[in-house]
Amino acid sequence: MTTLEATGETVAHETAVRSPARPAARRRTTGLTALLAVIALLAAVPVLYVASLSVRSRDDVLNGGLLPSRLFWRNWPDAFRAVDLGHYIANSWAVAAGSVVLTLLVAVPGAYFTARAGRRGARLATLVLSSYCAPPVVAVLPLFYLLRNLELNNTVAGLALVDGLANVPVAIWLLDGFVRQVPKEIEEAAWLDGLGTWASLRRVVLPLISPGVAAAALICFFLSYNEFLFALSFAQDSTAQTLPVLLSLFQGDKNVEFGQQAVVSLIGVAPVYVLAVAAQRRLVAGLSSGALK
Amino acid sequence: MTARSAVRVPGALAVPPVAFLAVFAAYPLVYVIGLAFTDSTLARPLQRWTGFDNFRTALESQSFTGSLWRSVLFAVLAAAVQLVLGTALALLLRARARRPGLLGTLLLLPLVTPPVMVGVAWKLLLAPVGGALGGVLHALGLPGVNPLGSATGAFVTLVVIDSWQWTPFVMLLVYAALLGVPDDLREAAALDGAGRWRTVRSVVLPYIEPTLLSVVLLKLVIGFKVFDIVYVVTAGGPGFSTTTSTYDIQRTALQEFDVGGAAAATVLFSLLIGLVTSLVAVRRKRHEEVAV
Amino acid sequence: MSPSSPLSRRTLLRASAGAAALTAAGPLLTACGGSASAALDPTAKPDLDGVTLKILANQPNALSFEYLRRPFEEATGAKLKVTPVPYDKLTAKAVLDVQSGAGQFDVFMYWYAAVGTLAEGGVIEDLTAYIKAHKDIEESDFLPSLYDTYTRYDGKRWGLPYDGDTHILFYNTEIFERHKVEAPRTWDEYNDIAAKITKDARGRYYGTIIEAQQVPVILGCDFANRLAGYGGSFLDASDAPTLDTPEAIAAAQVLFDAAPHALPTPLQIGFDQALPAFLDGKGAMLDFWTDFAKRAQDPKQSKVVDKWAVTTLPVGGDNTEPRTSLDAGFGLAVSTASKQKEAAAAFVKWATAARQNLLVLAQPDAGADPVRTSTLNSAAFRKNSPGSYEVVRTGLAGDPLPWPTVPKAPELLQTLVDELALGLQGKQSAKTALANTQRAWAKELKGASG
Repeated sequence: MTTLEATGETVAHETAVRSPARPAARRRTTGLTALLAVIALLAAVPVLYVASLSVRSRDDVLNGGLLPSRLFWRNWPDAFRAVDLGHYIANSWAVAAGSVVLTLLVAVPGAYFTARAGRRGARLATLVLSSYCAPPVVAVLPLFYLLRNLELNNTVAGLALVDGLANVPVAIWLLDGFVRQVPKEIEEAAWLDGLGTWASLRRVVLPLISPGVAAAALICFFLSYNEFLFALSFAQDSTAQTLPVLLSLFQGDKNVEFGQQAVVSLIGVAPVYVLAVAAQRRLVAGLSSGALK
Repeated sequence: MTARSAVRVPGALAVPPVAFLAVFAAYPLVYVIGLAFTDSTLARPLQRWTGFDNFRTALESQSFTGSLWRSVLFAVLAAAVQLVLGTALALLLRARARRPGLLGTLLLLPLVTPPVMVGVAWKLLLAPVGGALGGVLHALGLPGVNPLGSATGAFVTLVVIDSWQWTPFVMLLVYAALLGVPDDLREAAALDGAGRWRTVRSVVLPYIEPTLLSVVLLKLVIGFKVFDIVYVVTAGGPGFSTTTSTYDIQRTALQEFDVGGAAAATVLFSLLIGLVTSLVAVRRKRHEEVAV
Repeated sequence: MSPSSPLSRRTLLRASAGAAALTAAGPLLTACGGSASAALDPTAKPDLDGVTLKILANQPNALSFEYLRRPFEEATGAKLKVTPVPYDKLTAKAVLDVQSGAGQFDVFMYWYAAVGTLAEGGVIEDLTAYIKAHKDIEESDFLPSLYDTYTRYDGKRWGLPYDGDTHILFYNTEIFERHKVEAPRTWDEYNDIAAKITKDARGRYYGTIIEAQQVPVILGCDFANRLAGYGGSFLDASDAPTLDTPEAIAAAQVLFDAAPHALPTPLQIGFDQALPAFLDGKGAMLDFWTDFAKRAQDPKQSKVVDKWAVTTLPVGGDNTEPRTSLDAGFGLAVSTASKQKEAAAAFVKWATAARQNLLVLAQPDAGADPVRTSTLNSAAFRKNSPGSYEVVRTGLAGDPLPWPTVPKAPELLQTLVDELALGLQGKQSAKTALANTQRAWAKELKGASG
């Protein structure tokens, strides 16, 4: 909240001379950082708890504490020995990445249409969101036939297709808001400057909504990466099975290997965390290059 | 069309989404409606026409009618909690810097964590015997708790877990929207002598309202569809106290194999979601009209 | 700038929608044709060399196929590809595989309660003729207590038994000695012991562990174990429900009465919490599958090594004869969508033979139980299960309680556990819970036959 007001002044000051009279702002930033760090730490407790589970032996899982009674590293090599982790991770990435590409190909033009095409756009938006309302369980059967007919059953491509389509409504609805934020005057100006509709879309609108596109891509990636029901239904065996299915296999056992399950979760999630960092950078970069001033 | 705005919207842009709707919505919808009006099992769908029998059974089923109300409560509660927390976090994050930085990413972790693992972790944390929460409370000299043992406790726990996972989602989107707020808008407000909180309330939040409404709408729908954590953490219990409609429908379709009944329930449930979300959509539309 | 005219725009829209509708409708039409794979030839002598058989397996038992892989390849030259799925997804997965026409599997491991669902749904192949044609299957050696229950529906045989699961009562001898109690013989004694220990231990541990998550294979077992003890049944000989009987009501009542004395709180406890609790000495009793004995004795996972014992499930009411319940339990069947049914049947026959049953019984992590009289009585099995042999034998050699196997069984069992859960929650009495169940079951079963 704080610098919202302060930004204007700080910018003015900082562009002139670095004023020694700004310790208040710096203190405020430090305070905010500390506050957010505490929140982040609290939010990370369940994840850290998973990390702690990954070094517990089976009899230590329910030890009534956040920390293991003693370190038990065996889960790590055991997990790798028990399952072909790399294979599942590769599947998950391929499915998620493929689905994001498909989602954006549909959703970027779609969102522009819903936001800008007046009543027709609103009608389309309503339809798209309604299609997202139905719980997907019952749609499993018809989608199964669809995949079989395309000969994409039990393939990574088939799963990417279904996940990609499933996320279209999410993406359209996210992007719709961003498109609406683009002042119409900018587009009109571009249009008057002689840029065609397509050119102004590509050169003016797209850069302006790029943080939105990045955010939508990121979220759709996560949704696909963690999607469970379709992965379980359309990937019959390990050829196309993804990480959540693997995790559920641990849970489906009478003797749940919590430690190994935790190892698999951490390893599966680590690269996605890295992606999250990288993607956030892009999100900011995309914005600062924009002309929203 | 063009009279209202100088910018033309090529209809070709609607082709991908309409094709999407045909494949992913219209076709399954026709199929689901077909299932809803027939005697259908998972193995033998569309056996014979049964009229509204499946709908009657669904509406007479205690587990389903109860689940409708619980789903609404869950979706609304979760969306409200997450909107407030997510927006607050985004504002803090934005106030700190123009980059979310490592902190922003750390705050994002829950969203990225697979729901199956989220559920397992929370369940172990909350286990009445040997769970970490009980251990921590014990160490502090406090009595143990068993949130999953009571009806209200289990429901609230699910809202907490869902909020843990989805607040970052709201935060990320609101943060992205905040970055789009032109600086001069804030400067103008500041020059007018508006305080920090007033600037946020009367300038920043209204500016990003389309995004906020989109997020709420989406989060409502996602909340209606909650399944994985119910499945892992409470399995709908104790009793039916956390049986949401999606869980109930999934059970009917894939555990009891009564696909006809599940389809009828899906249709009814979708109508309900439509009803609730249209309330938000109306506001969204009003906003749009004001803006135009 | 080339803005499309309204006309062409509309045409484009319509064309794209039409194209999409066609791709979608195509599969719908073909799907209605159903899968037409050639029927199983009961007398064919398939050449298994070089064949790969795909098996859909219940996850806790999937490891057993690892032990069969090598011997099978050595004997026939055929390879196995095993896909494990969580137990609660097993039936749905098999049905979807066949129904959708995917046909990815040759052999289904199935929970016997779903045999009617699978047979009626055209998912598994009728093996009656095959079994008749292959005398070396030695039908008479399959345990009479489970053979028909596991494999028969509508007068035909649809598979062969693979894993003869039953529950037995595990108890912590150290805790029992400390509180000076003896293994319970009746469910009433069981409740008294649970109450006494829980009270005296003051939260350090509990008198019993009742896992009662609202799914058939968990909460259903609690009830079935008690129903068996009281001499009750789910269905009578003509498949009419018998859940309003005094035995059934007593079984539910004794379960509800036990809940307050159990590890908190039964309705939320599943395998994942019940087993560690027992192995950690946090609970004095647990009724569970027999193979748990091997875990309890494994020092790597158990703190109660040599501090546990097993006994037959308690009895109740007029019944004094120990009786177990066929909780879970699996057979192997041939998929109707398989393109190599003869080979699949050959594997089913081979894997359920006495020799292979013994082979997996010897493996502590295979989750296997006897399915044949000869293996149940074998010296090898006795030697492998020193602590539990007599108890397992008593259960399987006796007259265990079968669960319903009619096509509607999955629905019936879910209704039952739903009503029981409401009872456990204190929202209704045992009598009401079972009256509701009885009514729902009668309605479902009448609808099915009509």
